[in-house]
Amino acid sequence: MLKILVCVKQVPDVDLVKMDPETGNLIRTGVPTLTNPLDLNALEAAVQVKERYGGVITLITMGPPTAESTLREGLAVGGDNAILITGRPFGGADTLSTSYTIVKAAEMKGSFDLIFCGKESLDGATGQMASQLAERFDAALISCCFSIDKISGGKIRATRTLETGREIVEATLPCLITVEKDNFYGRLPSLKAYLASKTAEITMYSENDIDGLDHEKIGVPGSGTIVPRIYPPELPEPGQIIRTGSSRSDVGTLLALLTEKGSI
Amino acid sequence: MQKSGYKNMWVYIEHDGQTATPVGLELCCEIRKLCDAAGDRLYAVILGDLCETEVEKVKGCGIDGLIFVSGTGYEFFNTDAWANAFAVLSRKYKPSAIFVGGTINGRDFAPRFAVQLDTGCTSDAMELAYDPETGDIQFIEPAVGGKIMAVITVPVMRPQIGTIRPGTFRYAPTGAKENIEVIHEEISYDPDAIRCRHIDFLPDEADPEMDIAHADCIVCVGNGLKDSEHLERYRMLAKLLNGKLGCTRPLYDRGILPYKLQIGQSGVMVKTKLYISFGVSGAVNHTAGVDAEVFVAVDRNPDAQIFRYCDYGIVGDMDEICDEMIEQLQAGKA
Amino acid sequence: MAAYNKITPEIAAQLMAVVGEKRFFEGAEIDPNYGHDEMPIYGRHLPEAAVDVETTEEVSEIMKICSANRIPVTCRGAGTGLVGGCVPLAGGLVLCTRRMNRILGYDMDNLVVRLQPGVLLKDLAADALSHGLMYPPDPGEKTATVGGNISTNAGGMRAVKYGVTRDYVLALTVVLADGRVIELGKSVCKTSSGYSLLHLMIGSEGTLGIITEMTLKLIPNPICDVSCLVPFRDVESCIRCVPKIKMANLDPQSIEFMDADIVTSSAAFTGNPIFPETVNNEDVGASVLVTFVGSDEDELDQKMIRLGKIAEEAGALDVLVVATTSNKKAAWSARSSFLTAIEADTKLIDEMDVVVPVDKIPAFLIYIRRLGEEIGIRIRNFGHAGDGNLHIYCCSNALEEGEFKRRVKIIMDKAYSKCAELEGQVSGEHSIGHAKMVYLKESVGEDVFQLMGEIKKVFDPDGILNPGKVCDESLVG
Repeated sequence: MLKILVCVKQVPDVDLVKMDPETGNLIRTGVPTLTNPLDLNALEAAVQVKERYGGVITLITMGPPTAESTLREGLAVGGDNAILITGRPFGGADTLSTSYTIVKAAEMKGSFDLIFCGKESLDGATGQMASQLAERFDAALISCCFSIDKISGGKIRATRTLETGREIVEATLPCLITVEKDNFYGRLPSLKAYLASKTAEITMYSENDIDGLDHEKIGVPGSGTIVPRIYPPELPEPGQIIRTGSSRSDVGTLLALLTEKGSI
Repeated sequence: MQKSGYKNMWVYIEHDGQTATPVGLELCCEIRKLCDAAGDRLYAVILGDLCETEVEKVKGCGIDGLIFVSGTGYEFFNTDAWANAFAVLSRKYKPSAIFVGGTINGRDFAPRFAVQLDTGCTSDAMELAYDPETGDIQFIEPAVGGKIMAVITVPVMRPQIGTIRPGTFRYAPTGAKENIEVIHEEISYDPDAIRCRHIDFLPDEADPEMDIAHADCIVCVGNGLKDSEHLERYRMLAKLLNGKLGCTRPLYDRGILPYKLQIGQSGVMVKTKLYISFGVSGAVNHTAGVDAEVFVAVDRNPDAQIFRYCDYGIVGDMDEICDEMIEQLQAGKA
Repeated sequence: MAAYNKITPEIAAQLMAVVGEKRFFEGAEIDPNYGHDEMPIYGRHLPEAAVDVETTEEVSEIMKICSANRIPVTCRGAGTGLVGGCVPLAGGLVLCTRRMNRILGYDMDNLVVRLQPGVLLKDLAADALSHGLMYPPDPGEKTATVGGNISTNAGGMRAVKYGVTRDYVLALTVVLADGRVIELGKSVCKTSSGYSLLHLMIGSEGTLGIITEMTLKLIPNPICDVSCLVPFRDVESCIRCVPKIKMANLDPQSIEFMDADIVTSSAAFTGNPIFPETVNNEDVGASVLVTFVGSDEDELDQKMIRLGKIAEEAGALDVLVVATTSNKKAAWSARSSFLTAIEADTKLIDEMDVVVPVDKIPAFLIYIRRLGEEIGIRIRNFGHAGDGNLHIYCCSNALEEGEFKRRVKIIMDKAYSKCAELEGQVSGEHSIGHAKMVYLKESVGEDVFQLMGEIKKVFDPDGILNPGKVCDESLVG
């Protein structure tokens, strides 16, 4: 029976986040949230492993209380239990302190054979969580996993998608895996599981519930990086817009200009 | 932690024994400027054996020193030996910053040794600046889907670690310095302790259409594309211009075109003579990946940000304009 | 009917004077797409000239010129029709409304919107949503113009709950064949005031007048919604479940039918296999997608629980829930791609859009599948199971066009008789154009067909509006 951990994150729909032109701050209020899409691919991979080899899937997330809905979404498609780490002191964490916090909280439930997480998040998009979690879990790392080929005898064989081809690797457990979406499109929940997920119990951890948690290592104090400043992207002056009245002559003008420049 | 105890900047040179991945060289050229601003020395770090001519290339990028690491565990790339080597080296030499190319492998091991060293790590900076007041590097990158630019720093911890996407900076070697310091370190990692082992590699069949980084002309389609049914005309236009087809991230997300054709910061960075975008809104994440001599934009929204980046723009229906281009180009050739 | 005149240089000059040089096209300047709609199999016919109109006044002036000179006028929106409705069979002038694409304003007290005919359906939907409102008709082709939707009385997925386009048209501004401008209907919810010319105009496919402005009814956007995918082993058990769902007082917004074939094509096309091909280790033969709207989640949960019971009794493999925004988006884009997915992997294609009583769907589908196998034509289908409206596509990649047409003719003839036998109608929402005219005549009978012709004469005595369509047999043969 494999013990599987899946790390998920609730993210704002970045397409709908706007910047206040006066203050330069991001306007997040009222922006709908969703479960980070790549995390759902990771969860699907975990569910496939569970179906093939047997196992128990624990979902874990850190975030505001609303992140509960992301856990319930995961419970509906194959998660067995869920942990929500929430509280003010966790806020503003970068990947260094988030990975620390998640590992400490997960350890409350014992050890895990496999840990799955998304390649990167829609909002932060650092793509660093996977390898930092692997380091803190003292686990092997298989990133960009295309297929999970075999798990037996404390080892996992998998195929990865690299820049120029596919690599076949074999790793010892515990192992942390990020997946490509090709073989791991998320599934729709069954009605039964969907309804059950609505009332399922979720373990809530505040900063005081996690054993041995060093409060200096969480949230902002535990972060290695800060964001001292954000600003709107500087836009160059617009180029020459060709407006001659019809598409035909617009294109004609453009092609003449490009020919003149030697571009075509 | 005393920041002042940490000095000099390192660039990791990724290689396969025969050739160094371009991103390492690009980084050396860029970090040279940063070192000059900070009064730091620039070191290139090479793990395992790299052939002599390639080492010469690295030297040509204005480095002050070279650190060669030998020992067991470097036969195939693995995050265990790699992360360990950097942690050991960094504890010994205390560099102020370490830069790693943001390849799949680089992104796998750099954040890992950052945890071992308990320090901050950033990814995908588009610009780097040295702040003399704080002595910190400013890693500047688009965030939240390109809506803002964020300045990220590592204010307390050292070394400052950054992974940078291939193609972000230019390979513009300034020539080898006269006295390049060479350091040899033996850091062995027990091969039996490597937790993820390479078994086999199956190279992708070479498909020239998938290799767009250096195409002379690129026709790029964006989210304005209705569906894949409408794609063929853009392929045809690319062909007529002896160019290649590329796309923006939403088209990859929509499953319409493969990842290898995704242009931008999280995809392929392209350098091209002529770039023509159709239905591309112009988010920074995308435009940051385009280095074009002539940039043409076509979109139905006259206020689209893409028109800020173009040399020439046409406001109109993308399909219609593309068809018109095809027609006129064919008429011209006939 | 008397012969039409050609557009002489003098007439061309008059037309050009109305819209200006940039919106008048002749000869090679005419967009070649004006010669066909999305069913090129019915033939291509280019007009002699085309105009992009912008105002009711321009349309009126154009019609005055054309009626004085007996120039045929075919009105065109986005050209997304499937029966050749906007194809200028007799040449003449194509009058295109694509530039009349402004939403003129909302009356938020009465939930009414005024707009021009060239507004695209997707743009109206998005704009209404930004006002917290919904335009209930939801035809699959989102890039159609709303004017085109009214001309064909388009239906769509939500017709089960909300009805069709006709039910949301309150008033129209129409330019008659001779250029007179009339107002039909008022912004009120009831009317009992003489013959409804408004409803005669809706679905008349540009044969009675040119619509230049519309007033439509909207509803408040539902607070929440959820969809259930109910997969079955085979088509028959799947369809048999539909009347039971309808009878259960669940008031679904839509009940869509899809077979395994189309699900596979659309997954390949969109790159996202949101609808599963196997469920609980069994192959899915066909599924229905049922959508509910409501004022809170509990209400929807209760409906889903009741649907679950019905599905279980009907032998469904499972009931799957589409509840998250991402899944809804993926499901919607898969469902919307069905036709384009078929078109993408098919060289020759013809379609029918029959509507039969819901309980007759299995009989009809089984019949048409067997017919396809017998004649050697690949049949693909999907449709609005909730209202008995089926989209059936005859496809081939191997046949030569003549042979394809010959075989399809056999299938169509037989299928329409079967449809009549099952008490069905020729077209649920794609309308007649010229492609379905012969089947319409058969279906409604000589008397009704003749009455339609008489009505046409009252509106358009010279027959210049969209010649050869609906009930105008003058160009046949």
